[in-house]
Amino acid sequence: MEYISMITGFLLVLLGLWGVLTQKNIIKIIIGFSIFDTGLHIVLVSIAYLRGGTAPVIDKAVKVTEAIEKVVDPVPHALVLTAIVIGLGVTALMLVYALKLYQNKKTLEVQSFNDLKW
Amino acid sequence: MDFGFKHILYALLTVFIVLNYGLILQGIVRKIGARVGRRYGIRWYQPYIDIIKNYAKRSTITHGVMFYIAPVFRLTGGIGLLLFMPVIFGSEIFSNFSFAGDLVLVLYFQFFGVLGMALGAAEGGHPYSAIGVSRGLSQVTAFELPLTLGVLAIAMQYQTLNITEIVAAQQGGFLSWTLFTNPFATIAIMFSFLGAMGRSPFDVVLAPQEIPIGPPTEFHSGLLGVLQLNRAIFPAAKLILFMNLLFGGATSWPELVVKTFLIYMWSVFVGTVFPRFRVDQSVRWFLVVPLTIAIIAIILIRF
Amino acid sequence: MISPIHIITLTLGTAFFIGLLKKLNLNISALLMLVAIAAAGTISASWFTAILSGAANAEVFTAGFNPPYSINLLMGKGEALITLLINLAGFLGGVYLLKSLKERGIYTMIIYLVFIMSLNVIVMTRDIFNLFVFMEVASIGIAGLVILDKSSKATQAGFKYLIATGVIAGILLIGIAFTYYFAGTLNIDVIQQASIINFKAGSIAVFLVIISIILELKPFPANGWGIDVYEGANPGIGAMISAASASAMLFVLYKLAVLVPESFLQIITAIGILTFVGSNLMGIKQSNANRLLGYSSIGQIGLLTAIVGLKPFLGAQFELIAVSILISHFFAKAGLFWLSGIVKKQNLKDWAMLRQKPYLLVLFGIFIFALIGFPPFPSFLGKWELIMKLAHSHHFYILAFILIGSFLEGIYLFRWLGFSIKMEDANLPPLTVHWNKIIPVVLSALGVLGSGIYFGTITEIAASLKYIPLLFIALLYVIDFLPVYVKNTVSIAGIGYYLYTIYPDLEGFKLIFGLIFLAGGMLTLVAGYFKTGTRKGFYPLVMLMFAGLVGLIEAHTTFEFFFAWELMTAGSYFLIIRGKKSMTHALSYMLFSLAGAYLILAGFGLAHIGQSSYALDILASVQSFAPLVFILLAIGFMTKTASVGLHIWLPGAHAEAETDVSPMVSAILLKAGVFGLILLMLNMGSQFIGSFNIYYALAWIGAITAVMGNMMAAFQEDAKRLLAYSSVGFLGYILFGLSFMSHLGWLAAVSLSVVHFMFKTLLFLAIGGIVYRVKTKEMYKMGGLIKKMPFTFISVLMGIIVIAGVPPLTGFGGKWILYNAVLEKGWFFPSALVFFAGIVAFLYCFRLIHTVFLGQLKDEHREVKEAPFWLLLPQYMILMVIMLFSALPNSLLKPIGAMLAPIFPEGALEWQGQLAKSGFGYWNGQVIMYIVGGIFVVVFAWLWYMNRNAQKVKQFNIGYSAERPSLPETTHFAYNFFAPYKKALGFLVSPLITNFWDSASEGVHAISDKVRRIYNGNVQTYAFHILAFIVVVYLIIF
Repeated sequence: MEYISMITGFLLVLLGLWGVLTQKNIIKIIIGFSIFDTGLHIVLVSIAYLRGGTAPVIDKAVKVTEAIEKVVDPVPHALVLTAIVIGLGVTALMLVYALKLYQNKKTLEVQSFNDLKW
Repeated sequence: MDFGFKHILYALLTVFIVLNYGLILQGIVRKIGARVGRRYGIRWYQPYIDIIKNYAKRSTITHGVMFYIAPVFRLTGGIGLLLFMPVIFGSEIFSNFSFAGDLVLVLYFQFFGVLGMALGAAEGGHPYSAIGVSRGLSQVTAFELPLTLGVLAIAMQYQTLNITEIVAAQQGGFLSWTLFTNPFATIAIMFSFLGAMGRSPFDVVLAPQEIPIGPPTEFHSGLLGVLQLNRAIFPAAKLILFMNLLFGGATSWPELVVKTFLIYMWSVFVGTVFPRFRVDQSVRWFLVVPLTIAIIAIILIRF
Repeated sequence: MISPIHIITLTLGTAFFIGLLKKLNLNISALLMLVAIAAAGTISASWFTAILSGAANAEVFTAGFNPPYSINLLMGKGEALITLLINLAGFLGGVYLLKSLKERGIYTMIIYLVFIMSLNVIVMTRDIFNLFVFMEVASIGIAGLVILDKSSKATQAGFKYLIATGVIAGILLIGIAFTYYFAGTLNIDVIQQASIINFKAGSIAVFLVIISIILELKPFPANGWGIDVYEGANPGIGAMISAASASAMLFVLYKLAVLVPESFLQIITAIGILTFVGSNLMGIKQSNANRLLGYSSIGQIGLLTAIVGLKPFLGAQFELIAVSILISHFFAKAGLFWLSGIVKKQNLKDWAMLRQKPYLLVLFGIFIFALIGFPPFPSFLGKWELIMKLAHSHHFYILAFILIGSFLEGIYLFRWLGFSIKMEDANLPPLTVHWNKIIPVVLSALGVLGSGIYFGTITEIAASLKYIPLLFIALLYVIDFLPVYVKNTVSIAGIGYYLYTIYPDLEGFKLIFGLIFLAGGMLTLVAGYFKTGTRKGFYPLVMLMFAGLVGLIEAHTTFEFFFAWELMTAGSYFLIIRGKKSMTHALSYMLFSLAGAYLILAGFGLAHIGQSSYALDILASVQSFAPLVFILLAIGFMTKTASVGLHIWLPGAHAEAETDVSPMVSAILLKAGVFGLILLMLNMGSQFIGSFNIYYALAWIGAITAVMGNMMAAFQEDAKRLLAYSSVGFLGYILFGLSFMSHLGWLAAVSLSVVHFMFKTLLFLAIGGIVYRVKTKEMYKMGGLIKKMPFTFISVLMGIIVIAGVPPLTGFGGKWILYNAVLEKGWFFPSALVFFAGIVAFLYCFRLIHTVFLGQLKDEHREVKEAPFWLLLPQYMILMVIMLFSALPNSLLKPIGAMLAPIFPEGALEWQGQLAKSGFGYWNGQVIMYIVGGIFVVVFAWLWYMNRNAQKVKQFNIGYSAERPSLPETTHFAYNFFAPYKKALGFLVSPLITNFWDSASEGVHAISDKVRRIYNGNVQTYAFHILAFIVVVYLIIF
C-alpha cells in the first residue's frame, strides 16, 4: 500500500496522456492534459512519502536527532506547489488558445487545425 | 641538320616529280575506271589539259580573303605533307624536310590543308560547300580512330615515331614489311586509307551527283587550278606515307611508283566494286570493322 | 562587478514596474524594457570579459543557505557568453518588435521581459527544479507571444507548441522527481557526485531529464510542433526561439551532459546527427520561407546537439567548435527570420523583392554563407575543426553524415539565394523598410562577420591567413559607386601589385599557375574597360575569386588551401550568377562545388589522422586510408575541372556568364582544379587499390571527358556553350596527361593548361564580342561576319587552329608530346580515345568559325560593327604570345620541362635549339613554322601572279540550282550542322549523365517530400511522436 499514491499518480498520468492523444475535442484534450498534470503532482508528492512519518516541523514530537528518520521530506511538497501554479498557468493559457481557435474556425475539432504541416 | 639553299632545290625537285606522277596517275586511273565501265575514257594527259585550261581563264571572281587563300592553304598542306616525309629511303636529297618532325607531325599536318580549304570554301557562301565540309569532317573523325590505333601499334612495334627509322626497320626483304610483321595494324590502317583517299564508297564528301563536287563547288579558274595541283600532290603524298608505314618504303623512284600505284589500286578496286556510303553509315562502319581490327592489333602488340 | 542576480532583478523588476504604471506612455515603457535588457546584457558582457581575462566564476546563493539546500546560480564563461547572446537577441529582437509590442500594449512587453529573464535563469541555474520552472515560464512566454499575432496560423502553432512543451515538461518533472528521490538533491553538481546512474532506476530518472531537454531541442522526428511554430509565429518571435531560446536549451543540455554516462552521449550524438540530416533533407522540398528557416534552425541545433554529445572526442577544440557554429547559427538565423519579417512574403521565389534594396540582398547573402560555413564566418573554422577532430577520433560515419547534412542544407539555401538574386520580380509589391526592423539585421550581419574575424585571430591554424586581399575587396565595396574604368584600373593595379610582391616567392607549378591566375586575371580584366556605367558589385566579387585563387597558390597548410578554395568558390558563384539566365546554372555550380569542397574537407581530415601538422605535405605521408584520401581529394578537385560525370554545371554556367566573366570562369577558374590535382599527385604519388592503379581510372575519366566534351561541343547551336563544352573536353586532356605520372604526360598537361588558358580567353572574348554586337548566341543566326568583324575573325581563327592542334601553331606541341607520352606509358585504349577526341575537336572548331564568320551574312547584321577595342586588345596580346610559343616552342616547354625534371627525371625531352627529341621521335616547331610559312608564301605568290585581277563579287553571286538565292537564312548551312554525325554517334552524347543527376535530384526531392509527410499538422500526432521518441530511445539505451 506504500506505493498506492505513486501508482495512482502514474495511472492518472497515463489516463491524461490517453486523453491528450485520443480526444478529438480541444477542451477534452485540455482536460486530459490537466489530468496528466494532476497525476504528475501526485507522483511528486508520493516520492516524499515515509511510512509513519510526520510533518517536517521540529518541535516536541520530533527531536532534532531523530528528524532524519521521522519526518517526511518537505522539498517535494514545496516543489509540488510551484508545479501546481505552473500547471494552472499552462492550463489557463491553453484555454485561452482554445477560445482563440474557436473564434477562428467556430469549431473545437482538433483535426480542423492542421493548416500548418509538412 | 643545317638548312641550306640546296634543300629548297631538292624540295622543288621532289614536288615536281611527285606532281607529274600524281597527274599521270590521276589520268591513268580515270582511264582504267572508264575502261572497266566499258567507256573509252579520257586521254591519260587530260589532267594537264585541265590545269592549263583553268589557268588560262581570264575572268576570276573572289568571295573574300579566305576564299582566295583557301587553295593556298590546300596546296601548302599537300606540299608540306610531302616534304615532311622522307620520300626515297636512304636518299638525302629526297628526305627533304623530314628533320623537322616525325610521324605525328605528318599525321596532323594532313589536316592543315583540309581545314584551310574548308574555311575558304565556306566563305564562298555556297551551301553545298558547307554540306561537303560537314560530311568530310564527320568522316575524318571516324577513320582517324582506327588509323591512330594502327599507327600507335606500328610505333610501338618499332619503338619509334621517326618515319625514316620505321622504313629502315622494314628493309631486308618483303617479309619484314609491316604488312607481314603486323598484319592487323596494316589491315586497320588500309581500311582507314580508303577513307583518307575519299574514293567510293567514301566519296560522299564530293558527291558529284547530289552536291556537285562538295567543298570546291565555288572554285574556278586559277583557284581551281591550284586545287588541281593539290589533287595530284596530296594523294601521292598520302600514298607515300602509307607505303612508308606499311610496305617497306621505297629506295628508288621506280620502286616508289610501283608500290604507290598498287596501293592506290586498292582504293580504286574497292571504289569500283562498292557503292557509296551515307555519312552515318561510313562513320558506323569505320567505328566497327576497322576499329575492331585496330584493337586486336593493339592487344597483340601489348601482350 | 555587478552580481549576475541583477540580470534577473533588473528584468523582472522592470516588468513589474511597467506593469504597475499601466498608464505610462507606451514609448517610455518600451524604452524601459529595452534598457533593462540592455543592462542585463551589459552585466553578462562584463562577466564574459572578466572571466576571459582570468576572473573567477561567480556563484550566487539565494535564500540564505548554501546549495544544495537552496537554489544557486552560476556565472561561468559559458553562462556569461550564452546570457550575453540571449540578451543581445532580446535587445535586438525587442528593437525589431518595437512596433508590434507597442501595438499590443504593456502586457506584451511584460511577457517579453519575463521570457528573456527566464532564458537567463535557465542558463545560469544549477538547480534542476528551478530549471523546470523557468523552462515552463519560457514556454508560457513563447506561447503568450505567439498568440499576439492574431492570425489563425499563429494560434494553431502556439497551441501545438503549448501541448507539446506541456507533455515534455511533464516527462521532465517525473525525471526530476525521481532524480531527487534517488540523489536526495536538486543541485546538478551534487547529483553528479551522487552517481545515481550506477543503478538502473537512477539512470532512468536521469534519462527522463535528459530526454526532455533533448525534446525541447526539437529532435527529428519528434519536432513537428517546433517547425509549425516557426512557420506560424511572427518572424520576430521565430528569431527569438531560434536564436535565444535554442541557445539556452543547448546550454542546458551541455550543463546536464555531465550527469550521463558516455554511452548516452553517443545517443545524443546520434539524435543530433539524425536531426541535422533529417531536417535538412525535409527542407529541400520547402517553399515557405519561415518553415524553411525552421527546418534549417532545427538542423543546426541538431548539429550542435551532436557536438555536445561528441564533447569527449573534441578535446580542447570543443569550445571553439561549439561556439563558432552556435554564433554563426545565432546571428544568421536571427537575421534571416528578421529579414523574413521585412519581406513579408512566404514564397521563397518572392524573395526576389530583396533586389529592390541591394543592401538587403548583401545581408541575405552574408547570412546564407555564414550558415553554410564559408570563410570568413565563424562556422567555417568550427566545421573545419569538427571534421578534423572527427577524423582523428575515427568517427567516419558521423563525419560523412555531417557533410551530407551540410550539403542538403546548401541545396535549399543556395536555391533560395539564387531566387532572391535572379527570380522574376516584376509583379512583386514594393518593399518598405522601417529603421527598427533593419538595424537588428545589420547588426547581426556585422556580428557574424566580426566574430568570424575575431575567431580567425584567436585560432592558431587561422593565424597565418592573409586578410590583405579581403581588405582590398572591402575597399572595392567602398568605392563601388565609381565608374567602371576607375574600378577596373584599381583592380588591375591591385592584382598587378600583388603579383609583384609575391612573384619572388613563386617557383615551379606555383609560378605557372600563379601567372595563369594573376597575369591571366589582369588580362581578362582589361576587357572590362568596354563596359560603361558603374557595374555595381562586380569588382569585389571578381577580386574575391582572385583572392581565393592566389590563396591556393600561397597556401602552405591544408587549412589555408581550403580557406582559399572556399573564397574562390564564393567569388566565382557570384560572378556566374550575374549572367542573365544563370540562376539554375549558378546553383548547380554551387552544389557541385560544395560537394567537392566537402569531399576535399573529408580528404584533408582523413589525411590529418595521426599527424600533428596541417602542412600540405602531410599528404605525402598519409598514415591510413591513403587511397581513399586520394580519391576523395581527386573527386573534389575534379568537380572544378568538370570531369565527366561532374561536368553538368559547366556549360550553362560558362555560357550564360557575362562577356568578360566567361574567360575568367573558363580559362582561369578551371585551372584551380588542375592545380589541386597537381598538388595532390605530387604529394601522394601513385595510389593503388589492391593492384589496381587509380591513375589508370583517371586516364579513362580524362579520355572519356575529352571525347564527350568535344562531341557535345560539336552538337551545340549556342556559340558560348560550344566553347564551354570545348573546355570540358580540353580539361579531359589535361587530366589524362596528369594521370600518366611521367615527365611527358605532365609536360603535356601543364603546357596544355597554359595553352588552354590562352586560347579559351581568346575565344570567349572574341565570341563575347560578337554576342555583344549581334545580340544572340545562336550560331545559325549569325554568318558571314568575317566581313564585318575581321579582327575578331583572325583571333578566332588562330584560336581554333590552336585547339585543333594542327601544326604549325602551338597546340600541336601538346599533341606531339601526348603521342610520345602514350608510347612510353602504353595505355593505348584511353589514349586512342584522346586522339579521337582531338579529331572530333575539328568538328566544333570548323562549325564555330563557319557558322559565325563564313557563309551568308544576315540582313540584320549588315550594319554590325567590329567588336569593341577593349575586347580586342587582350585577344591580340594573347595572339602575340601564341605566335611566340608557336615559333619558339622551347620558350614554353623548356622551362616546364626543367621544372618537371626533379620530379620525373626520366623521359625528359632533349632540346637542341628548337628541336625537341624524345625517346621516340623529334619535332622542331620553329623549322616547321618556317617551312610552312615558306611554302605558303610561294604558293600564294603563284596564285596572286596568276589571279591578281580577281574580281570581288556580291554575297549571292553563287551558282545554286540554276537560280540565285536571295535569302541568307535559307542559304546559310548552319543549323544542326553535323546532322549525319549525330545520326551515327548521337547516342554517345545522349544526356545520360544529366539524366542521372536529374533523377538523383528528383529522388532526393521525392524522399524529402515523403519524409516530411510525418508532420501532418495534428497536435495529437505530434504528442504521439514525442512519446514514441522517448520509448524508442529508452529501448535503445536500456
